[in-house]
Amino acid sequence: MSLLEVEELRVRIRGERGEVTIVDGVDYTVEEGQVFGVAGESGSGKTISVLALLQLLPRGASTSGRAIYGGRDLLRLSGRALRRVRGRELAMVFQDPLTSLHPMLTIGRQLSEHVRVHEGASKRAALARAAELLAEVRIPDPERALHAFPHQFSGGMRQRVAIAGALATRPKLLIADEPTTALDVTVQAGILRLLDRLRRESGLAVILITHDLGVMSSIADHVSIFYAGRIVESGPTKELLSTPRHPYTRALLDALPHPVDDGRADLLAIPGLPPSPRSRPAGCAFHPRCAYAIDASRVQAPPLVTVGAARLLACHVDPFASPS
Amino acid sequence: MSLVEVRELGVVYRRQGVDVHAVVGASLALERGRITGLVGESGCGKSSLARAIVGLVEPAAGEIVFDGKPLSPLRRGARPRHETRLQLVFQNPYSSLNPRRTVGSQIADGLRLRGEGERTDRRTRVGELLDQVGLSGGAAGRFPHQFSGGQRQRIAIARALAADPSVIVLDEPLSSLDASTQAQIANLLVGLTRDLELALLLISHDLAIVRHIADEVSVMYLGTIVEEGPTRELWSSPQHPYTEALIAAIPAADGSGTLPEALPGEVPDPASPPSGCRFHPRCPHAFARCPGEVPPLYALGPDRAAACFLRDPASTQTHEHEGVT
Repeated sequence: MSLLEVEELRVRIRGERGEVTIVDGVDYTVEEGQVFGVAGESGSGKTISVLALLQLLPRGASTSGRAIYGGRDLLRLSGRALRRVRGRELAMVFQDPLTSLHPMLTIGRQLSEHVRVHEGASKRAALARAAELLAEVRIPDPERALHAFPHQFSGGMRQRVAIAGALATRPKLLIADEPTTALDVTVQAGILRLLDRLRRESGLAVILITHDLGVMSSIADHVSIFYAGRIVESGPTKELLSTPRHPYTRALLDALPHPVDDGRADLLAIPGLPPSPRSRPAGCAFHPRCAYAIDASRVQAPPLVTVGAARLLACHVDPFASPS
Repeated sequence: MSLVEVRELGVVYRRQGVDVHAVVGASLALERGRITGLVGESGCGKSSLARAIVGLVEPAAGEIVFDGKPLSPLRRGARPRHETRLQLVFQNPYSSLNPRRTVGSQIADGLRLRGEGERTDRRTRVGELLDQVGLSGGAAGRFPHQFSGGQRQRIAIARALAADPSVIVLDEPLSSLDASTQAQIANLLVGLTRDLELALLLISHDLAIVRHIADEVSVMYLGTIVEEGPTRELWSSPQHPYTEALIAAIPAADGSGTLPEALPGEVPDPASPPSGCRFHPRCPHAFARCPGEVPPLYALGPDRAAACFLRDPASTQTHEHEGVT
């Protein structure tokens, strides 16, 4: 059985100008020890779709569908059952670690409090565990770091501390939302190696949200590409990035500056802008920006269908199908 | 002669009674119609260098020569007319645009500054500028919040262009944008540089985008420039171990599943930089000479230089066993 099974997830948010559908029917599964990548541009619903799993959505949001974890539906949990899962079995790391670290409390206090609340450990045992966690994420001199405040660390070190906090309760699933986007490439490489080691050593599953397909390529086992609230393509990372089938995936890859000189003069920008959730086009939401769109693309949203081993595609045209 | 020449520039800040040398002896030249990339990790002094070039901070040492004349630091009064031809575009266009004024009136500021034309002429010129950055004329009457991040960056660029600049310094202009938008703005910058014969200094920690659009690159580490050269050559054969490490850390979107190389350690505090070569504590090739002496920028052929003892022509024996290739 999979660690997490998400089915028909929909999120609507009520705003001043009526209800807006942010996530529009998303299905995926995450296995133990797997890094599950979620990619897409801003406004594609990738962050909202995972916040929904933890019931961390803003006021006025409503969800439907199911998210089965350990035999229970995460979307229906409440009270103690929710608290037991959230922050304990499912943990989250954000792009800016300062949003999850308290500026006025020492690192030791923050990490040990987390351990005490969730595991009922004594103060001394919790502090020892906090030092252990800091060592695990390779913070130099963990004993000294316990007495330091967040501002005394660099961005990369703060993200390590935030990850240490998320790991405090030995979660089974870590949700990381753009965890390396604000970091330098040299520091990013260190964080990616850390996540990779954790999943290999402790079987931690990671939902990794990033718009950086380079990051995806280096660590994710499986990638789902989000566009306008839906998954338009998904598959094993290697295949998906080397033989993309959806015109949007291909366009995203073409827009990337390649680190190795490939002789291209211009970057191939995707024309237009990703649609806002308030004004998503009818049919396939990508059709106004797509060179391959046909009449059906403008009318009917293509379903996400299997097009190969573990590969799914939502496109009426499938212009890059391999000849068989 | 280059349009902008930065010579042995030093920038010093005072922090809690201690002098912090953010930029130490940095030299740089900007040419018309060319994009120069300046790369390095956060805290390496690249933004301080950018601010000094446009006159926002006063250099503690060295000089900046713009169009043959030494640049005067920005004062309270109006900038000398010719110096308005040096413009800066910031990372986050939302914080540099006034949310309560229309886009058109903010772009017109640059025109008014130069005392250009009547109101109707200015309106026409604003329309032209918007068109130049790929926005419709209707954008002039709207407010910054009505635009996406990429469009706001276009507006910020249009505003810089209004002052009829010959040099634009862009501090991380692409880093808050999505991939598809990033490519649009990158292509726009290349087009403007060529069409208007601008000299562009592009500061970025995103090396892949710099590789793609810059003609020359300077690599900065802890306040000093450690390597410079034409982009393609610098990329294919980095001559400084730091440049090599930066390039190795970029993950490629090729589905290969290889993890990028992490550079050990952190950028040291510029208030107490390491002795000798500032990179030596993190350098895999460091040897006896590195902690004791500061390596100069050794010239390595036309337009190429690296500040590393491995490149010292006077000591030939190091090349074999240390091989940074």
